Amino acid sequence: MDPLAAIRDTFFQECEEQLAELESGLLAMEGGDQDPETINAVFRAVHSIKGGAGAFQLESLIRFAHVFETALDEMRSGRLAASADVLKTMLRAADVLADLVSSARAGQEGGHPQQAALSDELKAMSGAAGADDDGGEEDWGDFEFQPMSAAVDLPADTPPARAFVVRFKPRADLYAKANEAALLLRELTRLGDSNVELDTSEVPLLTDIDPEAAYLTWTVTVSGDTDELAIREVFEFVDGDCELSVEAQGASEGAGETGLDIGALLARVQADAIPTIETAPDEPFELEAPAPPPVADLAPVAPPPLSVVSPAAEVHPEPLAANQARKTEAGATIRVDLDRVDRLIDLVGELVINQAVLAQRVMEAGLARASAVAMGLDELEQLTREIQDSVMAIRAQPVKSVFQRMPRLVREVAAMTGKPVRLVTEGEATEVDKTVIERLADPLTHMIRNAIDHGLESPEKRAAAGKPAEGVVKLAAMHRSGRIVIEVSDDGGGINRERVKGIAIEKGLIAADATLSDEEIDNLIFMPGFSTAAEVSDISGRGVGMDVVRRSIQALGGRINITSKPGKGSTFTMSLPLTLAVLDGMVVSVEGQTLVAPITAIIETLQPKAEDVHSLGGHARVISIRGGFVPLIDVGMALGYRATPLAASDGVALLIEGEGGARAALFVDAIQGQRQVVIKSLEANYRQVPGVAAATILGDGRVALILDIDTIVAVSRGEMRKAG
Amino acid sequence: MSMTVLTVDDSRTMREMLRLALADAGFRVVQAEDGIHGLEVLQAEAPQVIVTDINMPRMDGFGFIEEVRGDPKHRAIPILVLTTESDAEKKNRARMAGATGWIVKPFNPDKLVDAIRRVAA
Repeated sequence: MDPLAAIRDTFFQECEEQLAELESGLLAMEGGDQDPETINAVFRAVHSIKGGAGAFQLESLIRFAHVFETALDEMRSGRLAASADVLKTMLRAADVLADLVSSARAGQEGGHPQQAALSDELKAMSGAAGADDDGGEEDWGDFEFQPMSAAVDLPADTPPARAFVVRFKPRADLYAKANEAALLLRELTRLGDSNVELDTSEVPLLTDIDPEAAYLTWTVTVSGDTDELAIREVFEFVDGDCELSVEAQGASEGAGETGLDIGALLARVQADAIPTIETAPDEPFELEAPAPPPVADLAPVAPPPLSVVSPAAEVHPEPLAANQARKTEAGATIRVDLDRVDRLIDLVGELVINQAVLAQRVMEAGLARASAVAMGLDELEQLTREIQDSVMAIRAQPVKSVFQRMPRLVREVAAMTGKPVRLVTEGEATEVDKTVIERLADPLTHMIRNAIDHGLESPEKRAAAGKPAEGVVKLAAMHRSGRIVIEVSDDGGGINRERVKGIAIEKGLIAADATLSDEEIDNLIFMPGFSTAAEVSDISGRGVGMDVVRRSIQALGGRINITSKPGKGSTFTMSLPLTLAVLDGMVVSVEGQTLVAPITAIIETLQPKAEDVHSLGGHARVISIRGGFVPLIDVGMALGYRATPLAASDGVALLIEGEGGARAALFVDAIQGQRQVVIKSLEANYRQVPGVAAATILGDGRVALILDIDTIVAVSRGEMRKAG
Repeated sequence: MSMTVLTVDDSRTMREMLRLALADAGFRVVQAEDGIHGLEVLQAEAPQVIVTDINMPRMDGFGFIEEVRGDPKHRAIPILVLTTESDAEKKNRARMAGATGWIVKPFNPDKLVDAIRRVAA
């Protein structure tokens, strides 16, 4: 990649981090955090975004970040109180800044509809100090030089000066700031033909020398094609740390006057000047100093005359500690290409399988459990598990990154609905696989919208129910039995079961006389087709229902359900695997083949009775389960292992719930057991096979296919329709 | 032996830009993320020039410059301040702390290199 493009990527990645920092800082301040480091961090975040934006010339971003930064600086210095209103505006500004970053990332630099209005608000807050500064170019250099340039104004009829006499007398401060008179003189002499005169009259006797004082004055005559501005610029960094005068001379004067050229000067000084000054800063003074003065710390300082005697390259010796080990890029983290991590995960998967194969072989060989081999194998198993966990942990990230996006959403939805909402988050540090995190954002967004829009009551209703006007939406994450559980809860009115049931009946999702438990009614909201046009509001609408949420959670191998208490609120609970590299599977046999069905999809298993299975003609069959009918799909036939279906009493049915909540029963010969299996991509190793999601290798070394339940159900439905 | 430049900046973007600009100019670049990290790096490396940001967590540029100037072993290293601050007060504070010179962000790579060569041979 082009290095600049790579840096651009880094910049936008960093922006995301800074925006998150900004928002969490402002929220903490809103919550009463008065730690000065919090406002500093907030300021730095905006400041960094501005700095990077400047490097890539992202104008609207720079302008807005500048105004924002100015207001934050006022707040940081205590001139602007961090009141609730101010912080609200800052939070909105943070949202606009985030949008500007996104558009800049997408290559659109068009600004933001609210940019101007918020800029004005921020400017008004910052008061007069920042109001007239629109954050354009900043340049100290220009700022510094403007007054100087007036000094060279000459009467129009005077010809431009042909030479300048520069008198330069460093003060001790100049050296203390590590500026070097020699370097300044060198640069000055590059501007044109130069004559340099050194006045050493102030240099005291050696015994009286203060090594940190300055005694020398130079007078340099520069002639040629230069101007005062260029000369002043040489001394830009030492302005105030030296006496400096620059005088123009007429064309007739100047060059060629008495005085020495700098080379001769150097030669002369080297030849006869004070020898002690050749001491280089890091060398022990005694080595080169014939007459050490009593000042012990002379050594590290570059004393004034030294800067003439010795070119700076010699002043600084080779790094003394260069071969000391510590290299500077070291930090608490390293960045690794994701492919490498995935390759490692893959290899560890192989290791786990191999270990299982070996364990099975040893068992089959009939070795005693206490034998050295079996015990060694136990240890290997332990280690393998640990390696697997550690490697999986590399891909794990705290859910914070997705949780952090939610406060903004809550603010927006709260503003749209007019419901005051407080978002409470818990367990942000809980870690889960990166892919799971990435795919969590959409369902979480939808659920939080729903919680505010449908879950929370209006402030009036809340008041009537004796609740505080401000509703609470809680987002919590925790680890529970090898999975991550994420809960979205609200303290609203809970699910209106009468209404949900009514809608379900009206939509034909359930029979009008169906008897459902409270829990079953609550879970009706996950049925496809439950969300209705009447329900679609600006906020939680967008044509997405809870069925889509459930589908995306299931696609991650997760489950979701809801519990609700009338008047107290509802809680959505999602349980997700910590990794997508392993799967909890039900191992089954079909026609001598071993297959794996994902456990998350299986609701229950049952041994069908012959009278419960009904033929629909052809090979299509349905099974009656507690009064309802679901298609009975013979997996052996669906995958082409056999031509005629297995008799109903000879197999086991797995009641599953596929995509969109449709139920079906998968008919298999027998269940072998439950096992965690390592997922191996079939596409990567062979090719895509309809009905097969992936493969795995079992402990006995056999390859087992992992069923793609949704495809099997969809294909069988199509055939069933044809048959019917 | 090429000159070693230590850059101290909390922004990854800036660090990468500085590395690119300086490495292109033939300098050896060592980097730190804030003032404290910078001081740690100074224990192991002997840069001929330091380029530092001002606004940083843990220890800002002012504190860092003061520490370097207060350390007999490192006080003679030229330090350029790299910042977007146009504020004269900030620049003066950096100079009071002992900054050798300054570079305005967004920096032009050539000017940066010029400034470095200006304060170090």
